[in-house]
Amino acid sequence: MKALAFASRNMKELLRDMISYIFCLGLPIVMLIVMTLINRSIPQMEGAPQVFNIEKLTPAIAIFAMTFLMLFVCIRVSSDRSSAFLTRLYASPMKSSDFIVGYIVPFAVTGVFQTVITYFCGEMIALIVNGESLPVGYMLLSIPLLIPSIVLFIGIGIIFGTFFNAKAAPGLCSAVITAVAILGGIWMDIDTMGDGWKTVCSCLPFYHSVQYARYAMVGNFDDMLTPLLICTAFAVVIFTVSVMAFSFKMKSDKK
Amino acid sequence: MKTAIKTVDLTKKFGDKTAVNHMNLEIYEGEIFGLLGVNGAGKTTTIRMLTGLSAVTDGDAYVFDLDIKKDLQKIKSLINVSTQETAVAENLTVKENLKFIADIYGISDEAAKTSMQNIISSLELGEVQNQKAKTLSGGWQRRLSIAMALITNPKIIFLDEPTLGLDVLARRELWKVVQSLKGKVTVILTTHYLEEVEALCDRIAVMTNGKIKALGTADELKKSVGKDSLEDAFVEIVEN
Ligand SMILES: Nc1ncnc2c1ncn2[C@@H]1O[C@H](COP(=O)(O)OP(=O)(O)OP(=O)(O)O)[C@@H](O)[C@H]1O
Ligand SMILES: [Mg+2]
Repeated sequence: MKALAFASRNMKELLRDMISYIFCLGLPIVMLIVMTLINRSIPQMEGAPQVFNIEKLTPAIAIFAMTFLMLFVCIRVSSDRSSAFLTRLYASPMKSSDFIVGYIVPFAVTGVFQTVITYFCGEMIALIVNGESLPVGYMLLSIPLLIPSIVLFIGIGIIFGTFFNAKAAPGLCSAVITAVAILGGIWMDIDTMGDGWKTVCSCLPFYHSVQYARYAMVGNFDDMLTPLLICTAFAVVIFTVSVMAFSFKMKSDKK
Repeated sequence: MKTAIKTVDLTKKFGDKTAVNHMNLEIYEGEIFGLLGVNGAGKTTTIRMLTGLSAVTDGDAYVFDLDIKKDLQKIKSLINVSTQETAVAENLTVKENLKFIADIYGISDEAAKTSMQNIISSLELGEVQNQKAKTLSGGWQRRLSIAMALITNPKIIFLDEPTLGLDVLARRELWKVVQSLKGKVTVILTTHYLEEVEALCDRIAVMTNGKIKALGTADELKKSVGKDSLEDAFVEIVEN
């Protein structure tokens, strides 16, 4: 009940801020459209990278959009932490688990919604531009599979928001957003980038997220399994760290 | 009289700095207790310790015989605090802010509704009840922040400089609200306005450098240093 009340407050704070719509919903849609247009304007050569094809682009952008959830949760946590409002909540009977659940739930719900919108938009583009549908069945099936990625990004956001102040935290998130863009294999095919590069990408969860989302989208569940498991493992670790970080900070704030 | 709060050598140190120094104090149930002192005397730190916002360095304190070091979770649902800084959720309306606090204290919908109506009318928040907190002026946010401490019907309420930034009328309204709590709720109030203390408080503690320098009713304090006004008495107590 306490966690739910806090979740509802965080949801309202998110929904009543215009910026959330622009970044969490507007940006993924715009990126889908722009990338499709770019893809169409460049001549298709044999062996050219396929990353801009709509069935590869849509899941990748869905993952990329989650970085904005990370940014928003991070801003929420860090600005709460610098406000007297959180002090008041610390004095209330809320436990640290209530705080964590209250921060995660609204952003996770937003993440699922964002994915649905992105996939819907991808399907529209596929129909209009290519005249053929994406595999809608697999697409719907893959949405719940993206939850580990959502948890992963929200967890990173909570960790940054917990340890850094409202000025530094968004900057760090931007660094992660850039890293995801470059190392996630969203805009380019990592396989063609050389071994060193690929190793770096494989050590981080982002590339795996994008990979498994792409496999899930086309129903290639055999190839999906490994990156999904890697990403889930990362998500579990990051989530655990975020819970510990917040509880630790809550105690150390009482100095 | 029953004891609401008892501190035993309660001490808070920040590094070398002792903010609260072996404080021994007993506050009775239903009384309005004033905590006076110059800036930095340790009033807020005392409140922070008693509300579980700041760890105790030494000594101990009991709230209704519950140990703040051991039974904090139980204590928390019995008390509420209006912090020195205004503390509201900006994007929630006045009503939503109040309901939210009621929810996290586990107040039933029924009880929350009644006490929301009472508070909205007593602090005259009616005309802004559906306005988002961030669109309110500083003084109105302050009123909301205090209302959020009252909504849970606490047995003990800590008001840290509640009237800071309130206009004369709002201050009078708040005085009325505080007076109506007398006998029912234990109120611990800090302020720099001495007329406020005289109007409201049953007993007053004067703090300097983390210690209680004097304790008693306003009249007792005045008599103890042979002054006619509380302000003169306060200055005398603090400077000597
Ligand atoms: N987090 C902190 N770290 C270090 N010192 C602190 C901290 N909080 C308070 N202090 C110090 O403790 C002392 C008491 O501060 P406190 O805020 O309790 O005073 P106060 O009586 O509430 O003053 P005011 O009337 O200005 O609100 C001050 O010297 C202050 O500098
Ligand atoms: Mg203070």
